[in-house]
Amino acid sequence: GEEAGMTSQRYDAIIIGGGHNGLVTAAYLARAGRKTLVLEKRPLVGGAAVTEEVFPGFKFSVFSYVVSLLRPEIIRDLDLPRHGLQILPLESTVTPMENGDYLGSWADPDESRRELRRHSPRDAEAVVLFGRLMQQMAMAVKPILGMLPPDPASLAPSDLAGMLKLGGHMRSLGAERFHALFKLMTMSSSDYLDEWFEFGPLKATKSASGIIGTFLGPRSPGTAYVLLHHYMGEIDGAFRAWGFQKGGTGAISNTIANAARALGAEIRTNAGVERVLVKDGRATGVALESGEEIQAPIVASCLDPRRTFLQLLDEKTLPGDLVEGIKRYKFRGSSGKVNLALDGLPDLTCLPGHGPHLRGAISISPSIDYLERAYDDAKYGEFSRHPYMDIVIPSMIDPGMAPPGKHVMSIFVQYAPYHLNGGWTDARREAFGDAVVNTLARFAPNIKSLILHRQVLSPADVERITGLTEGNIFAGELALHQLFFLRPVPQWAKYRTPVRGYWQCGAGTHPGGGIMGASGRLAALEILKGA
Amino acid sequence: MTASFDVIVIGGGTNGMVAATVLARRGRRVLLLEQGPQVGGEARATEFAPGFRAAAGSLDQGWLPPAVASALGITPPAFEAGTVSTGVALGGGEFLTLATAPATAADAIRHFDARDAERWPAFAALLRKLAGFMEALYVLPPPDIDTTSVGEILPLVGLGRKFRALGREDMIELLRVLPMAVQDLVDDWFNADQLKAAIAAAGVQDIRQGPRSAGTSFVLLHHLTGASPGAVRRSGWWREGPDALGRVLEEAATRAGVTVRTGSAVAGIAVRGDVVSGVVLASGEEIGASAVLSTLDPVHTIRLVDPVWIGPEVLHAFGNIKFRGVRATICYGLDADPGIAGGEAAVSLTGSLVALEHAYDAAKYGAVSERPHVTVTVPTRRWPGLAPSGQHVLVAHVQWAPYALRTGRWDAATSDALADAATKVIEEAAPGFGARVKHRVAMSPADLETRFGLTEGSVPHGELTLDQVLFMRPIPGYGRYRMPVRGLYLGGAGAHPGPGILGGPAWLAARALLADTKGK
Repeated sequence: GEEAGMTSQRYDAIIIGGGHNGLVTAAYLARAGRKTLVLEKRPLVGGAAVTEEVFPGFKFSVFSYVVSLLRPEIIRDLDLPRHGLQILPLESTVTPMENGDYLGSWADPDESRRELRRHSPRDAEAVVLFGRLMQQMAMAVKPILGMLPPDPASLAPSDLAGMLKLGGHMRSLGAERFHALFKLMTMSSSDYLDEWFEFGPLKATKSASGIIGTFLGPRSPGTAYVLLHHYMGEIDGAFRAWGFQKGGTGAISNTIANAARALGAEIRTNAGVERVLVKDGRATGVALESGEEIQAPIVASCLDPRRTFLQLLDEKTLPGDLVEGIKRYKFRGSSGKVNLALDGLPDLTCLPGHGPHLRGAISISPSIDYLERAYDDAKYGEFSRHPYMDIVIPSMIDPGMAPPGKHVMSIFVQYAPYHLNGGWTDARREAFGDAVVNTLARFAPNIKSLILHRQVLSPADVERITGLTEGNIFAGELALHQLFFLRPVPQWAKYRTPVRGYWQCGAGTHPGGGIMGASGRLAALEILKGA
Repeated sequence: MTASFDVIVIGGGTNGMVAATVLARRGRRVLLLEQGPQVGGEARATEFAPGFRAAAGSLDQGWLPPAVASALGITPPAFEAGTVSTGVALGGGEFLTLATAPATAADAIRHFDARDAERWPAFAALLRKLAGFMEALYVLPPPDIDTTSVGEILPLVGLGRKFRALGREDMIELLRVLPMAVQDLVDDWFNADQLKAAIAAAGVQDIRQGPRSAGTSFVLLHHLTGASPGAVRRSGWWREGPDALGRVLEEAATRAGVTVRTGSAVAGIAVRGDVVSGVVLASGEEIGASAVLSTLDPVHTIRLVDPVWIGPEVLHAFGNIKFRGVRATICYGLDADPGIAGGEAAVSLTGSLVALEHAYDAAKYGAVSERPHVTVTVPTRRWPGLAPSGQHVLVAHVQWAPYALRTGRWDAATSDALADAATKVIEEAAPGFGARVKHRVAMSPADLETRFGLTEGSVPHGELTLDQVLFMRPIPGYGRYRMPVRGLYLGGAGAHPGPGILGGPAWLAARALLADTKGK
């Protein structure tokens, strides 16, 4: 471990799991003067936001790969820039088309509009209005993300006050924006975008953000509201919509860890927690896998809900409806990751050469039908033969990620169902990797000759390494029936658990998902209120 | 211009007759216009082959809210609840039949899974409670974010009380279940695939979504309003025949003094100085009225108005309504009973969730399912008089058969191919079926459009997706029956509470009209 720590030492709070949410919770508790210990199973902190030197000289953001949503209040409260936060902008997205052309979206909005006009003058007009509406919608959602979800069935004063506040917020939007938000929350991204745009590759590329991390296709209701995520970063004004952390996403985790340490928190790695110690309905500490026990009156878990409740506690001591609720909570990991160490840069058929487009994202999303068919494969238990891929080459922006002249390529792939027919084996994993490389080779034929090393991660691998149940990168699907006061289960959506002193602080709670830190922060504020 | 009326009601279906009667009973001079030769709409049984009759619109009778009956001053026709809620084919002539009596249904389920049988009564009871709340919601104008008038808020207090009366757990369960995929709902409760498929089939009625799609639980509950306790799909029938309600409504309209004109297609709604001034018939005849209440679907209605009276944004919103007819209807005349257990109710012939989902896939790409999802009912079990003695009628609803085909179009050949595929599916479920077929009439979504004036052949007047129900129906901002032109009201299934709630939209629209013209 990084810090050996005395076994007999007492702490005010123990955080189980060194994912970014756990680190945020720890930092806020330490900031409030609580003596806090973070316990991480792996040799490094970060959970799904880690950077590892997978092949000698080649560093990868192994799981998650871009940053967009880290809450500005967290950046401010924890003074993260001082601890190393440095977001490098990811300025462009190029979508290769089936006909050999491409659709580009560039840092300069005027240039983007000119490019879009080349394909559809109508869409070039609409995209301006669309962006404006999305910004309004993001503004409308922002207060909800930072709000403790009230229980609509409760008559407790705090819940009634919360419902009133929520109701007041909705009314303040006015009917028009409220209806627009309602549509976003309930529609499919494909239907929603059809109301605005006509150009297929544009719709497909935009809708792709709605399917990331879910086991849904672009034509499935409930995928529209994730479109908003692209606009959340912008309104915060802290940084561009999407970006890279210098040094990979692991460096973000390290930044938060550094902030926590500076505030007095202790972090122990290689310290897997086996269970939470409970006495008379109260948490008293944790028992490590090593057998060591550490005492603390507050214990918070940033693991996903299934492990938080059913693994770390004794199921028999929990209310039956809670256990049932957690068991039916949907994970359904749907994505995989392929990390490539490259001998040089790929050459896109649609845009040859090593131009600025390689500094941005390459989206393999030529049409809605393409994405939908990728989903069809997964529905019936197969990985997509022609998957959706979100590709970035971090070494183009952050040369330290690869040896000189070499590159690292990160490919986020969907769909790869956790429950693969016949299960994930080494052979199936490599077949999945082949499907990814072959699909990419259709658009960048030289890719195969550039590959020095290849790391393929199935959702089963994600689960094995990070612990995320079923490899779901959001610690549970972001479906309507698993959001807000229903996340992870009704009545236990306010970070508490039936065990006094034991709290939830991971992405399986409101608002969940993405490198956002909001769950960790809200949990810390609740813990401090209650402690 | 001929004699002027207070209100002209367009469309002589159930909703049209209800609206006209409610208005006439409140002293308005009402003219009801029906383009066909008779009133009754899709609910009317028509002869599709010599000696064989059927109503093609819906597999169940729908729900007549008691409040609507009392507003009409009618005694609803005698209703036979039946004993079967729904069923599912297992292949080779075997069926799982779900009785409305929970113990009977549980006994049938026990053959597949003992735990499912144990859980059945609680599941059926939960659905009844949730559907009961929907019933309360469906007899009020939809509450919206800017609801401010005391007249609209007061009933909502009652609704709030009804919500609280559900009890803490059921309140949350309602909010959780409404946006869910019906597959997730049944997966939460049961193991047996056949059982899950039987329930899920009720959640995908007339919608271009499969059982994995969010919001299909809402569809399930919507179609469960007014159903018997213990049912998971609405069943039961008017004892005196499929037209029993139509006859009662027609009589009520006449008694209330409604002027009924059949054979009168409306070609346009006249507007003068921002306000509706009457209608123009296809014949060119103009009829004056200070208000028009249309029970046609929303787009059909709006198209009757000169677009200069409607802003481009509102027109755009109407254009965005998802109609997406996905169902073809096939009426079969049979020389013997087809041997479908539970055929007096709706029986799904798709025995697994995967098969149900598969049947949906092709529709996403504008094609017809190779192995379509077929739901059948045998109306002659309820009313033997629909066919010559000893012979039978089978009505099949076939999904997914999208209105907009990506290649080719709906014509006799495509309809025939679809009917062949459906016959094959029925044959698998009920061996020997094919040999019993004497007559077969297929209606594609395109035929339904032509015959009943349904945009894109959408029987529900717009899909029941979450973004198109309650205050979002037909379009956001116009969820309370008042259309963008003053004096024009929408009272068809395209308005809240939507399809299958007999007279529900019409009654609420008529009340909105009456409230606006109080004392005039």
